[in-house]
Amino acid sequence: MSSILYVHTGGVNNPERSATPIYLATTAAAMDVEVGIYFTVNGPTLLRKGTAETLIVPKFDGTGAPLRRFIDQALDMGVKFYVCQPSLDLHGLTVDDLIDGVKMIGGAAFNDMALEADQVICF
Amino acid sequence: MADAPSADRVLDAKGLLCPMPIVKLAKIVKEMESFQVVLLEATDPGAIPDVIAWSKNTGHPLIHQETVDKVMRFWIQKA
Repeated sequence: MSSILYVHTGGVNNPERSATPIYLATTAAAMDVEVGIYFTVNGPTLLRKGTAETLIVPKFDGTGAPLRRFIDQALDMGVKFYVCQPSLDLHGLTVDDLIDGVKMIGGAAFNDMALEADQVICF
Repeated sequence: MADAPSADRVLDAKGLLCPMPIVKLAKIVKEMESFQVVLLEATDPGAIPDVIAWSKNTGHPLIHQETVDKVMRFWIQKA
């Protein structure tokens, strides 16, 4: 099976950058690709409990959908979500502050996933 | 043009935008038996390249395609 690892660095201060890696990952999962998203730098702020329900992914006309919808689609399709401790520390978060379904890994595990993946795509 | 094949299932994805037509297609194909055919109806302007790419990667062949007005119809057979 092919595999893609997405790296998501966007956070709550850039809602327009929040959803794209997530729905591309969802699409990859629908194509029978094994897919993970590594949330680092500001990425973990999107995963804090309660955040994605109110974070609106904007459209040009001022409307938009909550990020939670994109996250739920991805998890439902089997996309794996990963974070690492230093990027949680950057925002004063612990893994208990995050939504269910997020796996904690370290830098070595991330690099190993990157080496094993067919493609790594960074946002 | 060849006649449209018969379909075992119909997936109405009209009005849905990327990635939902592909996500729903993947889900319905998982429920189907081999050699069954699903008819996908979509209006997402990117649907034709998307369905071709999905078919190429999953191995479920696109056996027929028609576009009437702005509705694209895809007949996909489960491998």
